[in-house]
Amino acid sequence: MARGAVNARGAGRGGTTAGPPRPSWRQRVLGENGLQRWVFYLPAAFMILFLAVPAALTLVWSFFERTTFWMEPGFTLFAYENFFYSARAVNYLHSMLHSLAAVVVSFVIGFPIAVFVRRRVPQAAQHRVVLLFILPFMISELVRVFAMRPVLGRYGLINTFLMDLGIISEPISAILFTPLGVIIGDVLSFLPFMVFSGFLAMEAVQRYIFEVCDDLGAPAVRTFRDVIIPLAAPGIFAGSVFIFVNALGTALVPTILGGPGAVNAGLIANQAIVALDFPLAMAISAIMIVTLVTLLYIGHRLFDLTRILEPIS
Amino acid sequence: MLDAYGNPWTYRLKWLYLLSVVFALLLPSFYIIYISFNEHGFGARIYEFTFDWYRVVLGDTMLVASLKWTAYLALATMSTAVPMALLAAKFYRRARRKVLFVTLMLSPLFVPADIMGSSLLVYFKHLNAACTALAAALGTDWLASWFELGFVTALIGQVVYTMPYAFIVILITMSRYRTQQTEAARACGATAWQAFWQVEFPQIRVGVFSSCAFVAILSFNEATRTALLKGGFDTFSNVLVSQMLNVGMSEESYAMAGTMSIVAMVAIGSILVYTLARSERLEREARARAEPVMSR
Repeated sequence: MARGAVNARGAGRGGTTAGPPRPSWRQRVLGENGLQRWVFYLPAAFMILFLAVPAALTLVWSFFERTTFWMEPGFTLFAYENFFYSARAVNYLHSMLHSLAAVVVSFVIGFPIAVFVRRRVPQAAQHRVVLLFILPFMISELVRVFAMRPVLGRYGLINTFLMDLGIISEPISAILFTPLGVIIGDVLSFLPFMVFSGFLAMEAVQRYIFEVCDDLGAPAVRTFRDVIIPLAAPGIFAGSVFIFVNALGTALVPTILGGPGAVNAGLIANQAIVALDFPLAMAISAIMIVTLVTLLYIGHRLFDLTRILEPIS
Repeated sequence: MLDAYGNPWTYRLKWLYLLSVVFALLLPSFYIIYISFNEHGFGARIYEFTFDWYRVVLGDTMLVASLKWTAYLALATMSTAVPMALLAAKFYRRARRKVLFVTLMLSPLFVPADIMGSSLLVYFKHLNAACTALAAALGTDWLASWFELGFVTALIGQVVYTMPYAFIVILITMSRYRTQQTEAARACGATAWQAFWQVEFPQIRVGVFSSCAFVAILSFNEATRTALLKGGFDTFSNVLVSQMLNVGMSEESYAMAGTMSIVAMVAIGSILVYTLARSERLEREARARAEPVMSR
């Protein structure tokens, strides 16, 4: 439309016989049909070059042959054999279960908050309440995860508090350097995302829908199961995939809170790089990327994930 | 939980629950700040307030050097990621294939740090080898070290990581902007740049500045990708990680972690307070403008 307006102006000035004046080379190169138009493609080009291409090449490199310090072109399944026929695959499956547990706990804790904010908090204050969750999210994940050690540890804040109250007689040691510690770490690290994506999905749900449910006398559980969950499904799914994939691929949490033997995909990839086994690191990365793409594709087919962005489009 | 309209106590309990979750998320960070001001460190029975550990951190030349690198990197990331996110948000509003574009822009959110870092590390090593070979073939040094691990590769890694956050923040602000205003400006003879700078930008300025702060903090906090892509220099987070893993949690580490938490809290707290105060002021002004109309 804007271009139309410009043409209309040009025609008006130049008249119908002479036509608009011919733009100078400077206008042609730097003008709206030159660089100014192409500059908008820059972010997409950057992401293709430094995200999509490396992600695609990861799959190719995973079939390369390992050399002493690097890798060379070839086709071998050795890296995948090395992964699937070793304890790494079992560890990977265990970390998938831990990640799944983190998703469930985050959903149980975080999603009701998104529903509450959308249903009961006045419209003008809703975004402000959600902003409360930005603050913990913006503190370094590294610091947040490390900070859990003095909180969850044997002589940490929780144990000291419970012992001072006389609730326990000796420190609980099962909450740090155990799988439970990893799940707690994942939940505290990624929970805000369940609130954000849940809220974003709930924004697309009109408030009168809740009033209709109330007026019809629908029980809370039924409203939640048959109305809220289906309508907010894209947000729940996006939040769940984010937590699942990040819990599976962020090495920091098992390294700091899991103790000896605790691993996940990110940690296995890191260890492979330290051992200069680049094809193995690429194979694990490829498995993670394929898992992620498959989950997002299934989610998009089932729930149309673009619905989450409708309120801000 | 869902039909609590009539019961104020249920409503208050839900608020209490929400605030408890926020408190639980913040508790570890607050606790680490609390410990960092104790002269006797973690686990001591006595608590004596001191700034000494922070003085130790600021007196350590290696840590100060790492802080400088972190600041340079954050500044460079902010200067690159925010304009690109702004371009991306403007492009998204008129893009035909929105799904494809938004998938591309938001996918870094879903790729874990270690996985993205590993892929980029191997990618840059290959690119560097290709550039070096090309430079040798052309007989020039110009291309030779473009993708050698260092500041530029760390910057690229951080831009890929932070751009989606800036993109979302700017997109949210832009969603309130009506494009008819740009069309009106263009119809009045403004160039595309004038229409953007004088009409659109003042209305999305808050989002752009907020995204600057978010990107700077994310860059300041980032450790994993940077550790893999940084080459020879150290950032504050990287020094902290290596100290924590190799030495354990010393009083100095608590002070470093405290510094990172305080910086993030002050920055984000200021943005939140400013944003809330601004929206209150705009609401007041809108009400004041509407009142004479309503009374007619």
